[in-house]
Amino acid sequence: MSTTTSTAGGIDRDDLARLAEHWDEPRSLRAWFTTVDHKKIGRRYLVTAGFFFALAGLSALVMRTQLARPEAGVLSPDEYNQLFTMHGTAMIFLFATPMLFGFGNFLVPLMIGSRDMAFPRLNAFGYWVFLFAGLFMWASLPFGAAPNNGWFAYAPLNQEQHNPGLHMDVYALGLLFLGISTTSGAINFIVTALKLRAPGMSLNRVPLFVWAIVATAFMVVFALPALNADNAMLFLDRRFGTHFFDPGGGGNVLLWQHLFWIFGHPDVYIIVMPGLGIVSAVLPAFTRRGVVGYPLIVLAIVAISIVSFGVWVHHMFATGLPQLSYSFFSAASTIITIPSGIQIFAWLATMLLGRLVLRTPLLFVIGFIVTFVLGGFTGAMFALTPFDQQVTDSYFVVAHFHYVLLGGALFPILAGIYYWLPKITGRMYHEGLARWAFWLFFIGMHVTFFPMHLIGLFGMPRRVYTYRGGLGWDVGNLISTIGAYLLAVSLLLTLIGVVHAVRRGRPAPADPWEGDTLEWSAASPPEPYNFPVIPRVHSLHPTWDERTAESTTTGATEDRILSEGRRTLFTSELDARSERAAEMPEPSFKPLVLAGALLVFFISMLLAWYPIAIAAVVTVAATLAAWLWPVRRPDEELGVAS
Amino acid sequence: MTDRGGAVAAATGAEALSTELPVGRPTSWWGMVMFVATEATLFACLLGSYFYLRFQYGPQWPPPGIEDPKLLKPLVMTAILLPSSLPVMWAEHGIRHGQRWRLNLGMAATFVMGTSFLVLQGTEYDEKLHMFTLTSNAYGSLFFVITGFHGLHVLVGLSMIGWLLVASLRGGSFGAHRHDRVRNVAIYWHFVDTVWVAILFTIYLSPRL
Amino acid sequence: MSVQPGPRVRLAGGLLLWYGVLGGAVAWAVHVLAAWSLDELACAAGSDHVSGIPLWQALGVAVLVPALAALGSLLVAALVWQRTARARSAGTDNPALGRSRMLAVVGIWANLLFLAIIVLGGVAVLVFPPCQR
Repeated sequence: MSTTTSTAGGIDRDDLARLAEHWDEPRSLRAWFTTVDHKKIGRRYLVTAGFFFALAGLSALVMRTQLARPEAGVLSPDEYNQLFTMHGTAMIFLFATPMLFGFGNFLVPLMIGSRDMAFPRLNAFGYWVFLFAGLFMWASLPFGAAPNNGWFAYAPLNQEQHNPGLHMDVYALGLLFLGISTTSGAINFIVTALKLRAPGMSLNRVPLFVWAIVATAFMVVFALPALNADNAMLFLDRRFGTHFFDPGGGGNVLLWQHLFWIFGHPDVYIIVMPGLGIVSAVLPAFTRRGVVGYPLIVLAIVAISIVSFGVWVHHMFATGLPQLSYSFFSAASTIITIPSGIQIFAWLATMLLGRLVLRTPLLFVIGFIVTFVLGGFTGAMFALTPFDQQVTDSYFVVAHFHYVLLGGALFPILAGIYYWLPKITGRMYHEGLARWAFWLFFIGMHVTFFPMHLIGLFGMPRRVYTYRGGLGWDVGNLISTIGAYLLAVSLLLTLIGVVHAVRRGRPAPADPWEGDTLEWSAASPPEPYNFPVIPRVHSLHPTWDERTAESTTTGATEDRILSEGRRTLFTSELDARSERAAEMPEPSFKPLVLAGALLVFFISMLLAWYPIAIAAVVTVAATLAAWLWPVRRPDEELGVAS
Repeated sequence: MTDRGGAVAAATGAEALSTELPVGRPTSWWGMVMFVATEATLFACLLGSYFYLRFQYGPQWPPPGIEDPKLLKPLVMTAILLPSSLPVMWAEHGIRHGQRWRLNLGMAATFVMGTSFLVLQGTEYDEKLHMFTLTSNAYGSLFFVITGFHGLHVLVGLSMIGWLLVASLRGGSFGAHRHDRVRNVAIYWHFVDTVWVAILFTIYLSPRL
Repeated sequence: MSVQPGPRVRLAGGLLLWYGVLGGAVAWAVHVLAAWSLDELACAAGSDHVSGIPLWQALGVAVLVPALAALGSLLVAALVWQRTARARSAGTDNPALGRSRMLAVVGIWANLLFLAIIVLGGVAVLVFPPCQR
């Protein structure tokens, strides 16, 4: 590494002033719309995803009210169909993934010791698209035009002749729109983690949360196209009369299912993987040691993200393919439990060997392990084809995947909210309130979903808007509804806790938990430039490491201060050797304009205003052309020969 | 390393095995490569759908009333599109040496070739539409959606090349030290070319197998 | 390790490392795609022969070749692990060694997993008649 000479004692006041000048954004309306700061964008992701979560949760509460007793009349069948579809679609696409991307956005640059994401403006664009796509989908509900075919929208029920109206057009277009945000976010994470790690952070020193986010991003890059192709074909079938899923015209309804689950199974891990990353990030702070078996957890993350692409047929064991084809997928479905098990045992060993500090984030992690293992247990039962054929499309399946998703995503998300709240807001939360929230959540979760196993085994099919009394389902349903209200109360307590912390919480120190990763070396909340001095990383636990700490104080060098301009450091892909200081982009309106033009495009496609759609496409192209237009530079700087 | 044994021993030494690879790529290169990867997966899904529907359809494919696709025109189209990557490569090498004229000339050549491809595709569509349309049956849907989606990519690629050409002609845009955009457009264009080979095989050649 | 390897040797070494890490995964992906589509398409066409070869033999090839590739990858990963261990105990101070060593550990376990999946698929080929529904 080429090290320029620097003043002893590292950074001085002038550097700090210059950094502030280059990175600070004024508090104005303009700055609000143009910001490219990954921390602000990350916070927005978290808040917006939380808002969509509240909508989807309230949908569930209304449904549980309807199902509390037999033949209730709270909802009409048509309303029920729209609510359960929006509940599932929003929880999967508008809450889980964006929420975890929100954590990623806020934390990845901080954890790897960078000053922003690799493509800050693309990041802002991704957020605006996410917001618009979410509003686009939810706005259909008041018009009675929301998707109504279940979150996986099986053919042939998704076809125009069976399901007229805009419902499934909203689904297809909404998910295509959202896919733009998810894909751009994923690419941004991959490139950020490859190129912007602090010098010295070779692959064997990358925090597990970052590994998890990057693996998730790779899954998005390779899985989402299947969903996009599926939805594009669905829209063409419905609007323009193609025959992809129409057996009458030579199409095939199973094509929808295949493409959907090629995406859908990796998507389960897309949702759960960052959650597992949060667990690996939270544990060291509350066990006072690193997670046991770092290479094995990396292995688990990598192996799961690859094998998850080879198990999709297990969602279709009831569709009548040759037994031998099932076997190839059954083998993968069985083996994929091994890396998952490795992670669980590594965490258990970490807790066993460490010194436990029982704060709320750790409680949620323990709740996660209990719930997720139960969900994994019923999941292993599905790998047996005969059992799967027996309980498929019953409430048993509903119970199973709620255990997996609440266990694998929501518990870690809540752990993450409490764990990083001091970093994000600069304030501490109220521990007593948080404990109440945890216990209510844990109890509510099991009271809601455990009875569903039983009523599923007793034969209650999923997605029915009501049921007859006396079939043995009444008590289970009532208990489940009571549990749902408990869950709602606990989540309300969490919300109150967050608001309370922001308003009244005592100021948080930079490192309230004595965590091991680099975000705890930054201020709480972090400065706009994250780190006054980009650290030089010497170990897997940089914040616990003297030499890394020294590199930002007495050992600070000019090439890691970079106060002349809005700059951060690019390093090499595998070993993170310093490559060059790079200029980062300024705030801009273009991401918002581009996302707005796309919104116009999708709305006009939905309502069949095709001339406006064409105008929107032209706007998109023009905005992109302006966005990427090269700055004029003198020939000497460019290096022109002639 | 004179003998092969020595070379193998050296390549399996700890030092060589710890070689950093890949290394030194700019962020924009990684961004474009990832974008192309996700796009390629999208095409793979579409082509997979073609084969899935074809083999589920039954013995006669294309369906009765539609003859096997003729090969002459698509082969001519291939002969235009595939070599259109060469001027792009030539232009990219040129700008790396700071030769702006090579960039301009190469991009212009590719622009002409890509446009002729699209014109030929238009005449191809004109012929096919007399026989079947998007809504005739699944075969028609697959044919027009897959080739149309690729045509759209050619159009996007041409827009990029046109944009690059305009930026280059303005001056002050590219040179030996600044050519990331040229390289990224080149990657995208090579991708569009490569995909065409897969489409040629799937749509035009495979029904004859 | 006093002699610095040349660029071509370095390229070969770097590629070899990635074969050791990801070879099993790629082999498994090829195996699933080949075996599944062979079985599915041949049975959908109502035949248990693929261009003259019995289907189960064709499937056997789609199991054996990827299994061998995964095995090779496993051996390479083990080799990397051993070489980097030796270099580290010899006191070579190269931070890249720690990285390639971790990748080797990941590779060893990943290849074992993928090999197991491929072998299980191979067992199924022996047990099931190819087109039984």
